[in-house]
Amino acid sequence: MFGYTVHRLLVMIPTLLAISLIVFIIIQLPPGDYLSTYMAELQAQGEAVNPQKLAYLREMYGLDRPAWQQYLYWVWGLLHGDMGYSFAYNLPVTQVVGDRLWLTFIVSVTCILFTWVVAFPIGIYSATHQYSWSDYGLTFLGFVGLATPNFLLALVMLYLANTWLGISIGGLMDDRFIDAPWSLAKFWSVLAHLWIPVIVIGTSGTAGMIRRLRANLLDELQKQYVVTARAKGLSPFRTLMKYPLRMSLNPFIADIGTLLPHVISGSAIVSVVLSLPTTGPMLLDALRAQDMYLAGSFLMCMALLTVLGVFLSDLALAALDPRIRLGAGSAK
Amino acid sequence: MIRALPVMLALAALLVGGQAQALNYIETPALADDVAAGRLPPIAERVPAEPAIETGRPGQPGGELRVLIGSARDTRLLAIIGYARLMAYTPSYDLVPDMLAGVDQKEQRIYTLHLRPGHRWSDGEPFTAEDFRYWWEDVANNEMLSPTGPPVALLREGEKPKVEVLDPLTVRYSWSAPMPTFLALLANASPITIYRPAHYLKQFHAKYADKAKLAALVADAHARNWAQLHNRMDNPVRNDNPDLPTLDPWVLKTKPPSERFVFERNPFYYRVDREGRQLPYIDRINAAVADSKIIPVKVGAGEADLQSRYLRFDNYTFLKAGEARNGYRVRLWKTGYGSQLALYPNLNVNDPVWRSLLRDVRFRRALSLAIDRHEINNVVYYGLAHEGQDTMLPGSPLYDEHNSTAWAAYDPAGARRLLDELGLTKRNGEGIRLLPDGRPLQIVVETAGTVAEEGDVLELIRDNWREVGIKLFAKPLQIELMHNRIFGGETMMSIDRGLENGLANAEMSPAVLAPTLQASWQWPRWGQYFETHGMSGEAPDMPMATELMNLARDWMNASDFEARQSIWKRMLAIRADRVLTIGLVAEVPQPVVVSDQLRNVPEQGIYNFDPGAFFGVYKPDRFWFVPEAPADQPS
Repeated sequence: MFGYTVHRLLVMIPTLLAISLIVFIIIQLPPGDYLSTYMAELQAQGEAVNPQKLAYLREMYGLDRPAWQQYLYWVWGLLHGDMGYSFAYNLPVTQVVGDRLWLTFIVSVTCILFTWVVAFPIGIYSATHQYSWSDYGLTFLGFVGLATPNFLLALVMLYLANTWLGISIGGLMDDRFIDAPWSLAKFWSVLAHLWIPVIVIGTSGTAGMIRRLRANLLDELQKQYVVTARAKGLSPFRTLMKYPLRMSLNPFIADIGTLLPHVISGSAIVSVVLSLPTTGPMLLDALRAQDMYLAGSFLMCMALLTVLGVFLSDLALAALDPRIRLGAGSAK
Repeated sequence: MIRALPVMLALAALLVGGQAQALNYIETPALADDVAAGRLPPIAERVPAEPAIETGRPGQPGGELRVLIGSARDTRLLAIIGYARLMAYTPSYDLVPDMLAGVDQKEQRIYTLHLRPGHRWSDGEPFTAEDFRYWWEDVANNEMLSPTGPPVALLREGEKPKVEVLDPLTVRYSWSAPMPTFLALLANASPITIYRPAHYLKQFHAKYADKAKLAALVADAHARNWAQLHNRMDNPVRNDNPDLPTLDPWVLKTKPPSERFVFERNPFYYRVDREGRQLPYIDRINAAVADSKIIPVKVGAGEADLQSRYLRFDNYTFLKAGEARNGYRVRLWKTGYGSQLALYPNLNVNDPVWRSLLRDVRFRRALSLAIDRHEINNVVYYGLAHEGQDTMLPGSPLYDEHNSTAWAAYDPAGARRLLDELGLTKRNGEGIRLLPDGRPLQIVVETAGTVAEEGDVLELIRDNWREVGIKLFAKPLQIELMHNRIFGGETMMSIDRGLENGLANAEMSPAVLAPTLQASWQWPRWGQYFETHGMSGEAPDMPMATELMNLARDWMNASDFEARQSIWKRMLAIRADRVLTIGLVAEVPQPVVVSDQLRNVPEQGIYNFDPGAFFGVYKPDRFWFVPEAPADQPS
């Protein structure tokens, strides 16, 4: 177990280096750099841009250097915990990301909880009542949730919430609470705004989870140990909770790996539509403006979380399911 | 709403530089506590000895103005619409001293600027000639801070002005030859700020600051050197440093990054109303960041008191529907672009066949004649726009109907005749004409989506051109990519806004009508040649272009108004006759949403960036809230 852990941790280093290289190359791929975005923005506002000034800015931001030097400079900074400097915000990246991370965290965790709270009972119910009318009905609802484009649902709900309930459009709180210290009123305002993104982001996830839980559970329910348990007189509910449900949980634990980065990246498109102060829209803007250190460092954080998440979920799986042996593949 | 607006505007035009009367100042309620506690001096000591006096009907101080911005970078908008300038345009675009007490000029080349005694920065320090000297000597001419030297706009054919400080309140700029654009530069929407808060910035300047302290500041800010730090701190246009003292009506109080930026009144502002209240009337501006696409929806839900930015003409009906419920009115202001949308044939395109064709005036005229502008107007703009070429608008003293209608009538037969004359008579199976080298006549129009309705308009033009045997393809691109393709000569034709200023008068520079800018999509290479003093780009090689260049130079040297006016008219006539850009429609209304509680916002205005600074010429410091406003946030 210990050897396996060390091995996995060591493998992360080349993985992350490879990711950083790919991230950097992809960010650099589109023609131009941040300054061409900046120039376009100035021109759109009717300002003349002096080419010499651009050359000077390019030198100041280090954009005139060859790409490999920029890459090394960036990676070297990352190793020291320096995420670099955001051109567009004129601030160090850590400060730009700052409190957005926190709000993203709130939204994402609530979404995950919502998904689980809704999906588990429905999934179990449809599996145990397979091919009944209620199974069809719930499955249908799930598919509708999966098939409705998130952004459309978001717009419709925004409009309804505003006209019926008077909730301000977009954002995570009323404007007057931004930057205000936390208070009961602010908390309430956040709750009043939170349910829309949670439902919108949650519905698509819910449908997927219902389907998977139902399928896994159906597999298990057919098995002989279930029949044996029932034959021995165990109550149907206890049987279900104690054996097949546990067996069908493996995929969810494996999911933790992708869950971790999701918690900080949020759902970009929905966040843009709902104008949420989370990290998704920030990342999108940074990529579009080629604000490369902001985009790059943020993507690296997500990569790190993904790698860690996969590692943790592997460990958790091993701990929960004795049938899984660590390093079985490599020991062959 | 009853109000004597025309009278007020007329008075506003007369107001600036008015004689200081014995005014009894009335303390601002929002600042009374600070004054009583001794944190601020009383109003009589805060305003200049000779304040600028607003002669319009007085309003009442107080209230918070809510606006929506698309990103944190939009804090710059407040510096634009605040419109506190050394010189300023009035709503009728006359140039008058604003922050300056006065200006003397001699032969259009020697300008003596007089400051207001007792005028202070927002932190209470005096605003003096030292601030001008600091900028000129220690910023604009410092190799570290401005490696490219002072702004090009201040140079007259490469010659730097002579800047002298005559006394603490008097500064003189002089050139050896006429420099008629100087005062206008000071009044631009994003002006050349020829002064800086020296007392604040010296702490970041190697010449003045203590070495060890400065080194520590540089290290703290993760800056590469002191110059980078200085430039970061000193950005009055970007307006993102809450510590930077300013002369604007509202001062940024929120340190970025944030999702909401608060601007509070400048307690040392230089304007008062005629009863002695210090402006601005509005205490606080609350600018919330929202995605630009969601802003119209939020405005429709009553979440802004004054909004124009990010509202488009096609939002009008939606906004109108929310009027009664959310207590606002949508006003339609005229826009000042020479053309809402214009096609730019690239005279510098790389492809030799296309270049010679696009340079042939008959081809450009044919393209223009083949477009049914009336149809575009009715289909896309409900018939509310002005159809015509990309030239001056009827509101400009330089407007000439001939220029507006030149080659702009819908005449497909005439277009066909011109195309036949060019020898483009062969057609392929589809009925598309063939180029001399046998390729079909397919014009790719590149669009960057600056204006939302570009796609719809191009769709209509496609049908129009199809009828005369020309095929149009629209190619949507990222804006940066489009710029690079245009600069590189790969773009054949692009579509974008027309002339930035369709309301110019003869005192404004006509340089934009000549090939002086790389950002003029019809001749990017020639413009680049001029901008870089011949280092890159191509020299203009068409007689028309050289003539325009000469005219622009003559304008700089012209000694009187008549000469300048006739040069302008000549340049506009060339532009229209040679169809250098193909204008479509202009004066497309801009929706402006104004809260029912907000007063002094004109019912009918011109929405223009430069000159105009959006709301700037209407002086937002005199907008005020009716006090019993239920929409007011409790502060």
